[in-house]
Amino acid sequence: MKKVLTANRLTDGIAVWLGPNGEWTENLNTALIARHQEAADALDEAGKSAFNNNVVVDIAIIDVEEVNGDVYPVRLRERIRAAGPTIRTDLGKQADLEPANAA
Amino acid sequence: MSETRIWRPGGFIADDPWHIADANDVPTAIAADARLIVPMQTYLELEPEDRQQDKTAVIAAPDDDVGKLEQHFANLALIALTFPAFNDGRAFSQASLLRSRLGYRGELRATGDVLIDQVPLMQRCGIDSFSITNATAIRRLEEGRLPGITAYYQPAAAPSRATGTYAWRHVEAPATDPA
Amino acid sequence: MYRYDEFDHDFVRQRVAQYRDQVERRLSGEIDETAFKPLRLMNGVYLQLHAYMLRVAIPYGTLNSRQMRRLARIARDYDKGYGHFTTRQNIQYNWPKLSDTPAILEELAEVEMHAIQTSGNCIRNVSADHFAGAAADEVADPRPYAEILRQWSSNHPEYSFLPRKFKIAVTGSERDRAAIQVHDIGLHLKRNEQGELGFAVYVGGGQGRTPMIAKKIRDFLPEADLLSYTTAIMRVYNLYGRRDNKYKARIKILVHETGEEEFTRQVEAEWENLKNTGLKMPEDDLAAIAAYFSAPELQDRPDGWTIIASGKKNDPGFASWVHQNVTPHRHPDYAAVTISLKPIGGIPGDASDEQMEVVADLAERFAHDEIRVSHEQNLVLPHVALADLEHVYHALLEADLAIANAGLISDIIACPGLDYCALANARSIPVAQEISERFASIERQRAIGELKIKISGCINACGHHHVGHIGILGVEKKGTELYQITLGGSGDENSSIGQIIGRGFEPDKITDAVETIVETYMGLRLNAEETFLEAYRRVGPAPFKEALYGDKAKAA
Repeated sequence: MKKVLTANRLTDGIAVWLGPNGEWTENLNTALIARHQEAADALDEAGKSAFNNNVVVDIAIIDVEEVNGDVYPVRLRERIRAAGPTIRTDLGKQADLEPANAA
Repeated sequence: MSETRIWRPGGFIADDPWHIADANDVPTAIAADARLIVPMQTYLELEPEDRQQDKTAVIAAPDDDVGKLEQHFANLALIALTFPAFNDGRAFSQASLLRSRLGYRGELRATGDVLIDQVPLMQRCGIDSFSITNATAIRRLEEGRLPGITAYYQPAAAPSRATGTYAWRHVEAPATDPA
Repeated sequence: MYRYDEFDHDFVRQRVAQYRDQVERRLSGEIDETAFKPLRLMNGVYLQLHAYMLRVAIPYGTLNSRQMRRLARIARDYDKGYGHFTTRQNIQYNWPKLSDTPAILEELAEVEMHAIQTSGNCIRNVSADHFAGAAADEVADPRPYAEILRQWSSNHPEYSFLPRKFKIAVTGSERDRAAIQVHDIGLHLKRNEQGELGFAVYVGGGQGRTPMIAKKIRDFLPEADLLSYTTAIMRVYNLYGRRDNKYKARIKILVHETGEEEFTRQVEAEWENLKNTGLKMPEDDLAAIAAYFSAPELQDRPDGWTIIASGKKNDPGFASWVHQNVTPHRHPDYAAVTISLKPIGGIPGDASDEQMEVVADLAERFAHDEIRVSHEQNLVLPHVALADLEHVYHALLEADLAIANAGLISDIIACPGLDYCALANARSIPVAQEISERFASIERQRAIGELKIKISGCINACGHHHVGHIGILGVEKKGTELYQITLGGSGDENSSIGQIIGRGFEPDKITDAVETIVETYMGLRLNAEETFLEAYRRVGPAPFKEALYGDKAKAA
């Protein structure tokens, strides 16, 4: 089991993931990966707290997998969130990051 | 959860006499000056002597037919309507019917999930009394900050002034003289 | 077109100030997301997969060059240089910051635009025929009535928290280009035997999970009674529409469950009490609003006929574009021009800020400063002299906007789908792109003739798949995308809901399936004049099933 916590930032709506130091990162590869249930529960708590503190909205814990050191969401929806629109590769995170995360 | 307060245009009411009946209050004999707000169906089934201005008032659920109250208006000082959640807008129509169609003149109170951004719309539908729990709503009303728009594209139950350009347009009516 | 007076400006300014206050409360943490969401939605702000989305209203799809330039500027300054024109004649921006949205609304207000009620359970942007005021077959311009409905429904105190969203469409022609029979209320403007204007009133159409064709509940409603009758419908709906299940909350379900006759009786009973109130519209008011929409003064330009004749002879590309994208105007020397936003392999409905500027310039120079957005996600210049068509064509060609495919198989409607939308289950745009590439040849498209493909990425049906001649619905099955095909849908004056043809197709098979359907039609049509829809209505689904599924269909 590998899970990460995702949300959209309140101020600009940009898709973000929770990082290892409690920060919200725009790069899924730098997200904190929960590898067992207790860690996933901790993500859940962190998400509720960030939501209640009006930092992010639309929180969700999603399944990911690791391939050659890169992190990929399992669901297509989340892969698109992590990369950007598949029909405009000049937009979204894929425009700035290594192509590894492209859906 | 903060306490519930009653607000009417002009300010918060410190000594509102009414309280909503709990299951034990009805339908046993109602004391004079009980000031009990009872569900609509219960009210309609009361003995006539219990349907008095200083004894009972009505709280209507969103699916109640408020038209059934018309014959009792003379004995009704208060009708409360229910907004179970922000997205349940039936009481807006009930209020409009009571005021514009049926001519109810007594106090018309919003209860339930009464939020500050909806208060101006409720007022336009003829609601003139608000039972409020939401902290932001209470603070804004204390500060006299109602977030309404004073240009209206349609007539509504509350008094307003035609603009003279198009029949459907109105603006806020000037404050009425104190009686 | 309509111009704001001081009242309108005041209203929109107050509304923007109200919204700015709400956003400030949200950003300061004074109100939480649950309380804020309905407030932002009523101002057109959604949260999508990548960012917020702002939907700006283009009332009945009409705008001028100044407004189009402002839309371009907003795309440049607050977004990523493009916008998406929608099936409801609106425009969406996909990347605005929440903290910027009050400023964007201020920019819009300066050019008499807003985002009010482009979402939420309220009366949405009123849509109308995109050829209104120009169409040769028009009885009267539907836009004055759409404008009156826009005003009346704005911040309506009684109808801002309906069971579900509510969409009204108006057409003024027998040929229905506004899809009125699949709207909550559809109004068909017409004249009675005495020559008076009024409406046939349709209620309870819609797409989504339970597609339904609207019922005509009144054959002729005098124009003066438009607001009182609409109010009666809204009141019955607001009081009795279902609120226990969001998928059964549209008025179509109420009409269906109540029964057409009883529903009509309730509306008429309510109307009895309303028809002689302040909602009755004085003739002067109607005339004053209608005056805003009076046709531009069109000089005779009879030289246009010879100019386009020689232009067509010299340039087959121009000839093809004139044939496909130019529609007769009520003035014989003029035409309505469809600017296709469906380049081969492109994204249906998207336009860059530069393209918006080009269209604005053309509207100003050649089209009496009017632009329309069609529900088919194209733009229209409604009043262009035939003599100017070549200029317009060449300018469009420069900007990649002269695609001669209006009404053809590559003129595909598609919702944003899973590439942007938080509700979607599958992508729509890549499917549209691949089909359009497969049928890239204009000669082949012309040989196929009129064929409307409409693609939705979820059952909410924003891509109108139920009324596509070929409809495609994306679903998620076992974690992957799958596409269901419906055939025989139509959103015109003879509306019909498409029938599901069989099991769905994987992403890499869906274009082949569409091609199979098209080839089957080509093989069985009586002649080149018989359109796909006519042929389908004649033969039914069997030959298409056979072609798609062969023996498996028989076995099943």
